[in-house]
Amino acid sequence: MESRRFRAMGTDIELLLDGDGAGEALAAAESEFHRLEAILTRFRPDSELSRLNEGGSLDAGPELLEVVELALAARARTDGRFDPTVHDAVVSAGYDRSFEHVPEEGTGVIVGSVCGGAVRIDGTRIELDEGVRLDLGGIGKGYAAMRVAELLSAAGPVLVNAGGDIAVREGRWPVGVETAESELTLELADGGLATSGSDRRRWRRNGRELHHLIDPATGSPAPSDLLRVTVVGSDAVEAEVWAKALYIAGEEEAAREADVRAMPCVLVTTGGRTRLAGGLA
Amino acid sequence: MTSHVGRLYSLALALFVFFLTWTAIGARPWASASVTRKDPRLAALAAREQRLRHESVAVQRLVKHRWAVYRVQLRKRQSQIAAAKQAQAQAIAAAPSVRVVNLPPLTATRTS
Repeated sequence: MESRRFRAMGTDIELLLDGDGAGEALAAAESEFHRLEAILTRFRPDSELSRLNEGGSLDAGPELLEVVELALAARARTDGRFDPTVHDAVVSAGYDRSFEHVPEEGTGVIVGSVCGGAVRIDGTRIELDEGVRLDLGGIGKGYAAMRVAELLSAAGPVLVNAGGDIAVREGRWPVGVETAESELTLELADGGLATSGSDRRRWRRNGRELHHLIDPATGSPAPSDLLRVTVVGSDAVEAEVWAKALYIAGEEEAAREADVRAMPCVLVTTGGRTRLAGGLA
Repeated sequence: MTSHVGRLYSLALALFVFFLTWTAIGARPWASASVTRKDPRLAALAAREQRLRHESVAVQRLVKHRWAVYRVQLRKRQSQIAAAKQAQAQAIAAAPSVRVVNLPPLTATRTS
């Protein structure tokens, strides 16, 4: 088993490859992460995403185009609970720079921003409505994990963990999931797994507790009776999208939807309970 | 003699007149006159029957139309249900294999 750990996309990345002599492949995988970060981050003014947000339209490269298409499809699938147009809402809530530089306490004004603006794709051209900007933070990590797992799968069974967004190709991989009481282990084979919650990436403004999961309906951090949601999906993007959507939905609706969609998930409530749903037992 | 024959003729005439009158009364010529005059109750009944026939045709036409609309909606709903079932079956088929195990984890997920 070979492994590699590094930082990219503002989080810890871990690559596990069940094979020998794959050092070169792992190094290439790390480079791919940095390359995708340079395209998809909103924290670098020269990234493709920043140029799109700045100019309102752009002839995009294949990766940005694909992630935006995936995000728009996810917006439709989740009835708008996942929405890439939350950029201004996240920024106005205080998450306006790479998270390690966001001050824990502050006094900035918190204003809910309108989300759900139009994003048009015509060929390779992406056009945003006036005032619409995209945040591809969450889905970007899932996409990168999925893509790198695909690249590495030529060298053997692989697991890619991008700060909790996990992509697996071949083999069976035991993955720890934090519950309310301790931890349980899920054995995952081919697919993705992601966790979203308000237990990390949180800060305070004017004494108010805030987090990065914006409800597009209000443009403010979503109030939820869930602390954390872990979802197993057909790939890391799917898992990331639904982890966020189920968090916003709240415990009862999340459990119901997970069962209907046969989507295994672990729900941890703010009240300290753990609930398995979607066929997971 | 003459008076005797006269009395017989008189009796015969009287009998003839009697039976003629009887026949005339028995024929009830006044009854046929009243039958040919239209009874207003029958006319009202006939008009009502006619109206009910028209209403019945209209109701049948309406029911037929509603039934056709219902059939279309039913087919649409059935295709929606079939699509939803197919999507769910595909979701189940596409769902990755996962189970809870008692193994030490190789890595862990957390809020990303």
